[in-house]
Amino acid sequence: MAPEPATLVALMVAGLAFAVGLAPTRQQQRRLVIRGTTGLAGAAMVALAPTLILAIPVLVGLGVLHASVGGRSKFTVRLRPIAMAAGLLALALLFAGVAGPDVLQRFAAIGAVAGLAAAIGVVPYLHELDPDVPASASPIAWLAFIGPLLASVAVLRVEQVLTVDADGVLGATLIGLGLLNLVWGSISAWRTETDIEAWRYSFVADWGLALCGFGLAAGDGRSAAVLILFTILLGRLPLYLVWQQSVHEKVPTERPINLVVAGLLAGSAPFAGFAGRILLLRGATQIYWPLAMAIAIGLLLWLPGSLRLGRSIGLPRARQAVLVAIVIALNVTAGLYPLPILSAAGY
Amino acid sequence: MIEGIAAVAAWLGVSTIVLTDGRLGLASGMALTTVALTVIAWQSAGVFDAAAILIGGVVASGLRFRSGPGGWNLMPPGSTPRLVLRVGSGVLALWVAATVMQGSGTAFRFVAMIAIALPAARILATNEIAAATTATGALVLGIAVAAATHEASPGPAPYLIAALVAAGAALWPRTAPRGA
Repeated sequence: MAPEPATLVALMVAGLAFAVGLAPTRQQQRRLVIRGTTGLAGAAMVALAPTLILAIPVLVGLGVLHASVGGRSKFTVRLRPIAMAAGLLALALLFAGVAGPDVLQRFAAIGAVAGLAAAIGVVPYLHELDPDVPASASPIAWLAFIGPLLASVAVLRVEQVLTVDADGVLGATLIGLGLLNLVWGSISAWRTETDIEAWRYSFVADWGLALCGFGLAAGDGRSAAVLILFTILLGRLPLYLVWQQSVHEKVPTERPINLVVAGLLAGSAPFAGFAGRILLLRGATQIYWPLAMAIAIGLLLWLPGSLRLGRSIGLPRARQAVLVAIVIALNVTAGLYPLPILSAAGY
Repeated sequence: MIEGIAAVAAWLGVSTIVLTDGRLGLASGMALTTVALTVIAWQSAGVFDAAAILIGGVVASGLRFRSGPGGWNLMPPGSTPRLVLRVGSGVLALWVAATVMQGSGTAFRFVAMIAIALPAARILATNEIAAATTATGALVLGIAVAAATHEASPGPAPYLIAALVAAGAALWPRTAPRGA
């Protein structure tokens, strides 16, 4: 396994441990362990596959399993995004592999990005979200748990089969989609009516940054993407689980802890998100400075939504408080000294 | 010649999956698709790979034959968009495979495109679990066959995984989720 996917698998294990630690009952813990390890095993198989075409049937299998677990949404509705993703990715690989005009390679690049977006569940392929479904059975599982590894593997593998010209199209499409998700996600996280939608859009906004990072072929862009994925797996996901666990009992508060959590979610200094954003801006400046300006403007939209989400978690108590403290400590450590994570990922 | 017949059979097979809602129709479509994909896989990959496709497809169509809505239910009311999809995608795939893409293996390219695009479209458009899982089976088998496009052959792994997923999807879920 390449260093970057291996690092993300380790982060997934840590994220799953957080989720299990938060589950209030033994039964929920057991269910989460089963579902989480299944997802982890499937994602690891995707990462271990030597080619992406080999990984797609595994992805479909994972999609069938995920669609069949709990939830009020219909099985068929939950299967659709993965079928769409598998179809687009497979057609993209077919177009990349056959002889023909250059336009086929460009279609392959665009199809691969579209397939990736459908699998993760970002704009324009947002999965149907049911507020009463636990995170393990909801689209959050794709958006925040399986998605990071899948994106890393898919981009690495697709780059290997495309021509240099089409690699440029792939990068441009990733950046374009990233900017769209950045703006859409951050504004929606601020303006949308329900808190669960706000949380979902905040993940989407994070994905906007990560996709921009993947699109910047320079080393700084990939490093930024790894740090943003770190904040998704070990920052936003555990905090979302804290919020979701007692969503009906929570009263929004404005205590110092809520401000600190808002800062973490907004990617302000000294948290890991800040380091990721700085690297992303540096990578964008190296390639095309107006792009860095567009990203910087997009980053300003983060604050209102993050303040809202910070307040929504209320005052964490007992086990939740311990977990929030660990998440804050981890993100501060990674923000101040991100080198171990980047070295492990091969950057 | 054999590849050409298999390509037409594959198109008819996935078209049947698209146009029917009953278990007999879905099972027949899956069986026809399986036979066609087996022939294509035999030509492009090898006997072992083709056997994996055949076993996976036969198990999937057998399981579908035993469960799901009764009868054929071929082209129920409101099927016009599906019919248009079937014909339109066939013509488009044939044009792309024969004229836009280059080199030998037009039938293979046509089958790969049609066996991926039509089942995926079926999953997006249906609310029936039996139709969705049958189309999932056809989709993964189509993806496995398309794996032979790349020069670096992936070996038997994609065919085996696809066979497992196709058979497994036909088993799942045993009961429909409750509620809306």
